[in-house]
Amino acid sequence: MPIPAGRYTLGPEDGTLTVRTGRTGAASKAGHDLLLEVTSWRATLDLDGAEPAVALTADARSLKVREGTGGMSALDDGDRANIEQTIDDEVLKGGTIEFRSRRVESRAGGEALWVEGDLDLLGTRQPVAFDLITGDGARLTGSADLRQTDFGLKPYSALFGTLKVADQIEVAIDARLPAGEAVR
Amino acid sequence: MVELDHSFSTGKPTDYNWEAILDLDRLIPCVQGGRVVERTSPTSAKAEIKVKMGAMAMTFTGTVEVVEQDAEAHRAVMKVKSREAGGQGHANADVSFALSDGGGTVHTAAQITGKAASMGEGVVVSVLDGLIKDFTQRLEAI
Repeated sequence: MPIPAGRYTLGPEDGTLTVRTGRTGAASKAGHDLLLEVTSWRATLDLDGAEPAVALTADARSLKVREGTGGMSALDDGDRANIEQTIDDEVLKGGTIEFRSRRVESRAGGEALWVEGDLDLLGTRQPVAFDLITGDGARLTGSADLRQTDFGLKPYSALFGTLKVADQIEVAIDARLPAGEAVR
Repeated sequence: MVELDHSFSTGKPTDYNWEAILDLDRLIPCVQGGRVVERTSPTSAKAEIKVKMGAMAMTFTGTVEVVEQDAEAHRAVMKVKSREAGGQGHANADVSFALSDGGGTVHTAAQITGKAASMGEGVVVSVLDGLIKDFTQRLEAI
């Protein structure tokens, strides 16, 4: 079912915005694949006029570790706090995370939106494209694979470079469209 | 047993390098995460090294002792004996320095047991190689 025309504003109260990271390097066994949740973000979906638009801003200091798989032992609360601190201090450094669409196209009878736009990540702007699946007309899911190096980021490494976060990360959104905003 | 060879250059005279290498208060902090806990004699120290593995870290505590030194040939051997804090693992090594004008070589013969070793010898070699390379780079500024 297509999303009814309207303007929607979404945030953490409506769903999750997550980042999945993998690992590489000779000592990758020592590290963890992470599922990080962005806990402060705001997205707008403007499907009201002739030129539909999608935009999203996220707070780079709001990432929280939700899962850590692999590694030599399970992550405890202290490890999670360490990772969050490292992201803040050494990776994202509280920089800009802002996406703006250039083109939004309705597909599959309105059940999917093909979105093309630019992501500004810490001051470097690169084109990004992804599908937003609308499913039952009330739920919105989608994901995009990004390469950190495309944005000038050096993937985090430890253990003298033998344990690295993989360059490619997956950003995903899974949200319910807030009720009552669909019809204007 | 893992054996590794590295070289380093300091651009400084042999006598300077010799004194610097034998000064454990200067040498031990050249290992990333390494610090002197207590000097127990002019040729020995209690020390610890904290190895960061991303979010997690392993700390090894133990002793570093100069067990051989030949001032004429500028060769010295140090014995490192350490135990993983809160774990069952050990990291022991004989580290042999041979100095010449402007630099020197380091031969390391290490034995690692416990959690770190469980990652496999290939991983241990890669990490140790990285650690010693980093160490020799820091020696260049000692």
